[in-house]
Amino acid sequence: MNDIRFYLDLFNTTVPELEKTAATALRRGGDYADLYFEYTSYYNLILKDGAVTSGGFHTDYGVGIRVLKGEKTGYAYSENLELAEMLKAADAASAIASCESDGRVYSKVAECRPDFYPMANDWRKTEASTFLPFLTSLEQEITAKDSRIVKVIARLAYSVSDIMMYNSLGELTVDTRPMGSLSVSIVFHQNGKTENKSVSRSFRIGSEFICPALAAEIAEEAVKGIDERFDARRPKGGQMSVVMGAGASGILLHEAMGHAFEADFNRKGQSIFSDKLGKQVCPKGVNVVDDGTVLSNRGAVNYDDEGVPGQKTYMVEDGVLKSYLHDRISAAWYGVAPTGNGRRESFRYNPIPRMRATYMESGTADPQGIIASVKNGVYVDEFSNGQVKIGEGDFTFFVKSGFLIEDGRLTMPIKDINIIGNGPQALADIVAVGNDLKIDNGTWTCGKEQSVAVSCGMPTVLISNLTVGGE
Amino acid sequence: MITEKEILLAKHCISFATASGASGARVSLSKSVMDSCTMFNGKLDKVTHAADRSIYLYLFVDGRYGTFSTNRLEKEGLEDFILKAIDMVRMLGEDKDRTLPDPSRTATDAKGGKELGLYDERYEASDSESRLKKAEAFSIFGKVAEEGFSLISEECEYSESSEDNYVTDSQGFEGRHTETCFSCFSEMTIQDAEGNKYSGFWWESSFSADGIDADGFGAKALERAVRQIGPKPRRSGHYKMVVDSSVASRLVSPIISALNAASIQQKMSFLEDTVGKQVFPEGLTLMDLARTPGKNGSRMFDTEGIATKDAPVIEKGVVKQYFTSTYIGNKMGIQPTVEDISRPCLMPFIKGEDLSNKEKEVSLKDILRLCGNGILVTGFNGGNCNPVTGDFSFGIEGFAFKNGKTLHPVREMLITGNLMELWSNFLAAGSDSRASVRWQIPTLAFENVSFSA
Repeated sequence: MNDIRFYLDLFNTTVPELEKTAATALRRGGDYADLYFEYTSYYNLILKDGAVTSGGFHTDYGVGIRVLKGEKTGYAYSENLELAEMLKAADAASAIASCESDGRVYSKVAECRPDFYPMANDWRKTEASTFLPFLTSLEQEITAKDSRIVKVIARLAYSVSDIMMYNSLGELTVDTRPMGSLSVSIVFHQNGKTENKSVSRSFRIGSEFICPALAAEIAEEAVKGIDERFDARRPKGGQMSVVMGAGASGILLHEAMGHAFEADFNRKGQSIFSDKLGKQVCPKGVNVVDDGTVLSNRGAVNYDDEGVPGQKTYMVEDGVLKSYLHDRISAAWYGVAPTGNGRRESFRYNPIPRMRATYMESGTADPQGIIASVKNGVYVDEFSNGQVKIGEGDFTFFVKSGFLIEDGRLTMPIKDINIIGNGPQALADIVAVGNDLKIDNGTWTCGKEQSVAVSCGMPTVLISNLTVGGE
Repeated sequence: MITEKEILLAKHCISFATASGASGARVSLSKSVMDSCTMFNGKLDKVTHAADRSIYLYLFVDGRYGTFSTNRLEKEGLEDFILKAIDMVRMLGEDKDRTLPDPSRTATDAKGGKELGLYDERYEASDSESRLKKAEAFSIFGKVAEEGFSLISEECEYSESSEDNYVTDSQGFEGRHTETCFSCFSEMTIQDAEGNKYSGFWWESSFSADGIDADGFGAKALERAVRQIGPKPRRSGHYKMVVDSSVASRLVSPIISALNAASIQQKMSFLEDTVGKQVFPEGLTLMDLARTPGKNGSRMFDTEGIATKDAPVIEKGVVKQYFTSTYIGNKMGIQPTVEDISRPCLMPFIKGEDLSNKEKEVSLKDILRLCGNGILVTGFNGGNCNPVTGDFSFGIEGFAFKNGKTLHPVREMLITGNLMELWSNFLAAGSDSRASVRWQIPTLAFENVSFSA
């Protein structure tokens, strides 16, 4: 109860006020209402040209109020937490209940108190000045590794969000969410040519994130593969076998299936996977998970933004589509329990089904053997962004680096190519799954209507046919 | 709208910051309200009311600089916030190039906020009932003849918003910008006889309450979905490429990014050392028409308060300016301009023709006819452009065309190349940029573009 008291005081409210606001939200006949309180403190420090000369902090404070009538949503928020202002927002959100709709029963979820992101040192209790020497020494460590480096930009961003959620079922849930992110961008110059590289790490963790091991890891990766990047060319474009390297290749899952498995698209019949629940969508033996329980992971959630406990959800088990990713609305519509995927960018947005950490479980193949099995194709292992068309299933992702595969061997380095495919076809074309699952801990952010922190992972995987951009 | 009391609060932040040790300060106070109605399959599905306010502080302390923001605008809390902010700035590294701008460069003609005519007073008379009626008018669900396809879903969002931004600094600058926005977005998902799904969307926005028209709006989104039925494979190869005006800005935005002096200073630009040089073909003229009244994107001043002006960015292929903030100007020892482009406008062009003294309209149809055969790009699907080299690779969708007429849809295709090489193959630009968007980029055409399929 002490916990709850802290959050009630932070948001200057009481349980009776929460009850009154929820009752006001339901006064026009909604089926369910919830309140999402947020207080976020966000800090950033930027090193450029050898010194940390800019930075700042930003605070965001408010409450979002949602009313559901059937699957219909009324949403309003207030940045002023006086009871009168909350009641105004509740009244605005309640308007949705005036429209014609079949009712829906929204049910309580099982209680638990998970802790997927313990924070040993609270960022808010650590002076920002203590991070300056770290950034400076990080830059020195990076530049010492390669004389071709001409610029380094290092950005440290960290935040802590205190969240309190209350709903008309009487559920009161609280959570404190830390996030630390370090991004480094490096520019190299060699014989009149310029190349760049970006490296990042992001975790739900306290300021213990900042340590010498992190600097060493970032510095090592910052210069890795630069010789190849200067030599890299575009391959001849067209359809070919693609070996997805372990780790960041999880972007394939995020784009090719993750979005299309989000239940809002399926409930509305818009997804290419809308009629595939219970059907074989991948070869047998393939398991794909969306997981909110990975310790300190960027996509971890103790509770989602509807107060549903974080969970590990098997989307595909032994090749069969087992579950969509649900918020409370789609779960009630499908008559299943919510999967803890109701997420939002901030109190300014209503929650919708979103991914957390999406990855494929390890298979049995030897990664080197997978590469050796390909006569002609490409191997890709570093990416920047992706996109999908939900109905058509067409997805793309942008490859920053990789290699041609010729006669089972990695040969010419390649870079800056887009790869395009069709979700169901690409999943059906999975030929081999390696035994080397790796979660990528970069600053992945998903932009479906709102920005939320996610992560992804994959073992080495061979897909027999994707379209590769090239000259 | 921002009240007199809130303006006084912004001014108080300046005086409190300077009294507390800041050598200079700028405050940007913003308020906005947005209401939307979303229809799903012809019925109201979601109503949203959003009201935001925030204060952004730019603090210069002892040759150091930091930025801070909060949405808690109570005076006492703000004072405590400013004191903490000043403490944080003091711990940052010194950077003598961080200064407020030369006051003579700041706008003096934007005190009221409505100088550009972007605020429609009718916004204030609007209410939830009138918004719902408009949203219903934009929906065409149940009114569509489903021939050769079935309509799976229609999502249609109508929204109205207002924004008010007041900026002041410790050198006496005051500027205000207000605008209203009425917009609609419609997305249709359809299914053909074989069970394949296709989606199409359309959107319009205007500062004016009668600037967007419900007539034909949903039909346009539907048409964009239906015309994708029956895509045919296409061989990889080099083709002429026509890019529809609804998506053509994708090929201009990397140029704008590369002309930002901050990118150049960090060696993250493929257009370093190009001011005054002819690096693009003579046919490319790109203007920043920042001060055109009644147009989306127009503004009297930038974030620093610098007065905008109508000016060429690229004129007949010659780079005329970098976008240079006061800080980057000081750092690079070059003349500052504005921090970023306001309203990019790409001028009509047909290779081999002189359009300079003609009022001739150049449409998509004209450009297709001019090009003869090739690929018409109507959408981009992912991809990226390397800011250092200009190397790009984008997923595309669109249509094959022959003798100036579209033949069949294409998809799962990619274009790959280098942006400078692409523009060196520039063939034509139309005069058909969309009125409702900030980026006035018309239909574009290029030759010898590498397509993978």
